[in-house]
Amino acid sequence: MTDMRVFADATQAKGETVIELVEVDKYFGDFQALANINMRVGRQEVVVVIGPSGSGKSTLIRCINRLEKHDRGRIIVDGIELSEDVRNIQEIRRETGMVFQSFNLFPHLTVLENITLAPREVRRLPKAEAEELAMQMLTRVKIPEQARKYPGQLSGGQQQRVAIARALAMQPKVMLFDEPTSALDPEMIKEVLDAMVELAEGGMTMIVVTHEMGFARAVADRVVFMSDGEIVEVGTPEHFFTDPREDRTKLFLSQIL
Amino acid sequence: MWMRRNLFPTWWDSLLTVIFGVVAVWGAVTLVQFLVTSDYTIIRVNLANFIVGRFPRDELWRPAVALVVTLAAIGFVAGVASAAARAVALDEGSSFRSASFVENLRRQWPLLVTIFVVLMLTETWGPRLTVLVAVAAAFLAFIGGKRAPAAVRRWAWLLALVMLGVAYAILVVAGGVGWGGWGGIQLNIFLTVAGILLAFPLGLVLALGRRSSLPAVRLVSVSYIELIRGVPLITLLLMGIFAIGFFLPAGIRPGPVARVLIAITLFEAAYIAEVVRGGLQSVHHGQVEASQALGMAPWKTTRLIVLPQALRATIPAMVGQFISLFKDTTLVSLVGLFDVLTISGVANAQPAFLAQGLETVTLPFVGLLFWVGSYAMSREARRLEKRLGVGER
Repeated sequence: MTDMRVFADATQAKGETVIELVEVDKYFGDFQALANINMRVGRQEVVVVIGPSGSGKSTLIRCINRLEKHDRGRIIVDGIELSEDVRNIQEIRRETGMVFQSFNLFPHLTVLENITLAPREVRRLPKAEAEELAMQMLTRVKIPEQARKYPGQLSGGQQQRVAIARALAMQPKVMLFDEPTSALDPEMIKEVLDAMVELAEGGMTMIVVTHEMGFARAVADRVVFMSDGEIVEVGTPEHFFTDPREDRTKLFLSQIL
Repeated sequence: MWMRRNLFPTWWDSLLTVIFGVVAVWGAVTLVQFLVTSDYTIIRVNLANFIVGRFPRDELWRPAVALVVTLAAIGFVAGVASAAARAVALDEGSSFRSASFVENLRRQWPLLVTIFVVLMLTETWGPRLTVLVAVAAAFLAFIGGKRAPAAVRRWAWLLALVMLGVAYAILVVAGGVGWGGWGGIQLNIFLTVAGILLAFPLGLVLALGRRSSLPAVRLVSVSYIELIRGVPLITLLLMGIFAIGFFLPAGIRPGPVARVLIAITLFEAAYIAEVVRGGLQSVHHGQVEASQALGMAPWKTTRLIVLPQALRATIPAMVGQFISLFKDTTLVSLVGLFDVLTISGVANAQPAFLAQGLETVTLPFVGLLFWVGSYAMSREARRLEKRLGVGER
């Protein structure tokens, strides 16, 4: 415990715990995608998950809102434990916003309808109120003028910002980002990252799976390195980029930096 | 130059051009000769039979009024659709221009020419007046639909369905004529429309059932679809006529038209289910995940996210299915209903026209009616498809 920038494991969150994973395993057939994952995320904390492809980082965050079902262990989000109970799952999904690599905007709805849909259908907000909220969120990601367009008419960067606004409109306690910039052309990455930085600075609790090391360095409270379904190393960005301990971490960082 | 390049570039192409040119000219001359020398008396005399079959002649005002109401319903929906397309275009900041008179003419000329020719064949003013009033009603309803406030527009489909219901009521209620008295092309159109309206919801349920996570539901859906698709429609129609009584409680004895309609509905539902399944498969799974991640309940995800995209993708296949149903309704002539094909046989058997080979006139006429209807449907569907493509560029 001499070096305060390294953590023994991923359970040392700062402040009140919002997400907790205890001994979580996940299999796809015979393939073990997650192996004994223990992790905590504190309120207003930004955790960046990095690792080679196939290391289980996407699976990890997809288990948190039950897009994938974990096989063993416990996942607790804001005091609610994920179980087979559909109402529990719905409640957790309401508290967690997710942004996908491929945006997944609804192509048959306008930008405004994309954002107001869930607040109206799930939170039961009246139309006018939902639209006002949507415009606030669009302003936050700096594209309020695109409200009436269809997703297909926007650039990739704009679409991803709409996706962020759509998740935010549900006023979630946690935001999950699954490689949000990996499908973007290079010149559009910055506008999305800027929106995410702004969000982090606003105090949003975030788990971000990404290859953007610049983002990790700038905003992450902790960086989690995963490989082969395991959490290999946890530390501050400073630790990771100056003095990684594990060989697998060093190899990975040498390949992408 | 154009001729040289496209018709006679090599000696082989030239040969083909000459051969097909001769065949085409010969075909055209024969066709014109046939059209000019044929005697259309059989159609002129039987026109009412072709259109409404044995419908009692002193009740003909009913189909006339029903036609006016139906066309008004179609005009209203078209007007609302036009207004909606305009609203979308304006939102996007692009300009919107509704189809001009000439464009409409170019798109629907076969239907319009056929109606005109049929009206020329009539001997009384009743049908001409009916069509005139119906067209006027459609036009007024179109304008009305275009100018209707948004609140009314949202319920346009319901309103149109109610109007169709009214048209139906005019035919049957208050001393009207039951299905047993219906016939002619009117019966074919009725079986098509009623078949679609009944089979579509059933097909939708079957398609969703086929993808259900409940094994029992899946098994029932798959069995039904595969069973029905393996049986010819004519077999089902005959079973409808002869065997359906066994499946119904005693005392319920549907008439032949109802039996046929049940058979058609069961048959079409299986095909529509497969068409919808294709559409469902075309929706990317990420759409479902995005909806789930927002906390949307499963049936809301299906209704608001998956189905709208799936159904849009099925328009071409669905219209193909409807067109083939329209033509398949002539099979009811084989189970003794007085549809338009039966009527042509009846006309040919009339003493005045017997054994004169006038099938060469009546059958092409029946064929023309179906072709015109099918062509109109497919053109309008293509237009709808284009219009709904907005936002999916």
